[in-house]
Amino acid sequence: MSTWHMDDGMAAAYAAGELPATPAASVEAHLLACEQCRLLLAPRVPRARLDRVWDDIADTVDAPAPRPVERLLRAAGVREHTARLLGATVSLRLPWLAASAVALFFAALASGETNRWGLLTFLTLAPVVPVAGVAVAFGRDGDPAYEIGLAAPYSTFRLMLMRAAAVVASSSALALAAGLTLPGGGWATAAWLLPSLALTSLTLALSSRYDPRRCAIAVTVPWVAAVVGTNVREPDLAMFGAAGQAGYLAVTVVSVVLLVVRRREFS
Amino acid sequence: MIEAVGLVKTYGRDRALDGLTLTAGKGVTGLLGPNGAGKSTLVRVLATVLAPDEGELRLLGRDPAAGRLEIRRRLGYLPQDLGFQRGVTVFEFVDYVAILKEMTHRRSRHDEVRRVIEEVGLTSVGGRRVRTLSGGMRRRLGIAQALLGEPELILLDEPAAGLDPEQRLLFGELVARLGQDRTVVLSTHQTDDVAALCDRVAVLKAGRCVFAGAPRELRALAEGQVWVSAEKAAGTSRRTGDGLYRGLGPTPRNARPADPTLEDGYLLLLTTTTNTTDITEASA
Repeated sequence: MSTWHMDDGMAAAYAAGELPATPAASVEAHLLACEQCRLLLAPRVPRARLDRVWDDIADTVDAPAPRPVERLLRAAGVREHTARLLGATVSLRLPWLAASAVALFFAALASGETNRWGLLTFLTLAPVVPVAGVAVAFGRDGDPAYEIGLAAPYSTFRLMLMRAAAVVASSSALALAAGLTLPGGGWATAAWLLPSLALTSLTLALSSRYDPRRCAIAVTVPWVAAVVGTNVREPDLAMFGAAGQAGYLAVTVVSVVLLVVRRREFS
Repeated sequence: MIEAVGLVKTYGRDRALDGLTLTAGKGVTGLLGPNGAGKSTLVRVLATVLAPDEGELRLLGRDPAAGRLEIRRRLGYLPQDLGFQRGVTVFEFVDYVAILKEMTHRRSRHDEVRRVIEEVGLTSVGGRRVRTLSGGMRRRLGIAQALLGEPELILLDEPAAGLDPEQRLLFGELVARLGQDRTVVLSTHQTDDVAALCDRVAVLKAGRCVFAGAPRELRALAEGQVWVSAEKAAGTSRRTGDGLYRGLGPTPRNARPADPTLEDGYLLLLTTTTNTTDITEASA
């Protein structure tokens, strides 16, 4: 039971924040147990300050806890609201990233087999992962709030590009990590990179007119068919050679130009 | 606020809007019409989600083709099929839409999110995942996001679908409050909603506006054309809750005239107008 109480001067000093730290801590402990002093103090505390404190508490309680990807983006310097928009992307959430990682690492493990399809499996799959990720990152089927986004002032094109960049970056990081486990390493650890950029940018460019998921299928099926077709009779990695890489670079450049030209179609 | 003249929107061979003309100012305007009449297409055009193929449109005094961004900053939109990301909470969803509405300052954005959630009575479930909410609560959540930023033009496509009677009452109060100082367009199948909430009503049929005016004017179209009878009669009679049959048109023998409702006027309008003729062009 308290044996002392605040006087008017102490209450006024505490309310004004002018009490030194030690007596202030003592007053705070006392206030928890003493209604008489709380009643004495209450009229002296500025209403605006109380509201501000209460708002801070409410905001701390209500504010959504950032998801792992969102936290990672914030740590990387991405602004809070941008990280929130990216964190809502299906293909940037942990289940999708985990599934992508498992697929890529299994493909890399398969390349250790003597079967010539082993390495091809990894080189074929690595560019398809970001294409799939981009296809579900935006658009009517991939983003449940897509229709609202279309009627909102935030640029749909910008949102799409940000999500695509984040998906390509995360997929590429996973593929690079998986590539490091390839037996012998060498050129194959990065031979998928330009095909990946070409297929992804082509999917985005086509999405300015068609549904992103259909575009992804339209890009992926010929890609897989081409790899299989050129390797059915005998191993042939020409698609990943210098000429092939130059071709993927050209496709990437043309797709990006097309994307910029048709950017208005996204909104 | 909304001035649309001769709007045409086609999907392949289908003309969803076929020369539609409509004006709407402050207050609540209801869009009534059967399935396929073009209500949702019109709402999407007004929301700047779709561009009309032909016709003139001005929203909030601007041409959407040139001032789309400015219109979107002053617009609230609830689409018919609103989806939610998996695993998001009520607060997270509205917060996400608030960012799309360019509310980038975290603290003031959260204040606004709390305000609209409170406005639709969802404060107590702010932390709950959306997938655990009832259909009515999800609809209210959709309405909440449309209120972000105090928009001057609010477009609600089937907003009352899934609401129970008590929620409809609260929704009605909210819409009435919103309509006091802004333009609210409400697309619905329900004549009850229009009768209870709207200052004006536009009836759409086959992509055209076949009536625009006050609800009482729509009701008045059926004046002297409504009857009730204990026996079923040929034509458009329908059974009512008290076991009688209610019909439209010349009163048959053994029937007595009845006071028309808004639904009577609406049904009569749909059965008597052709697809190309507007029988009423009351100013909205």
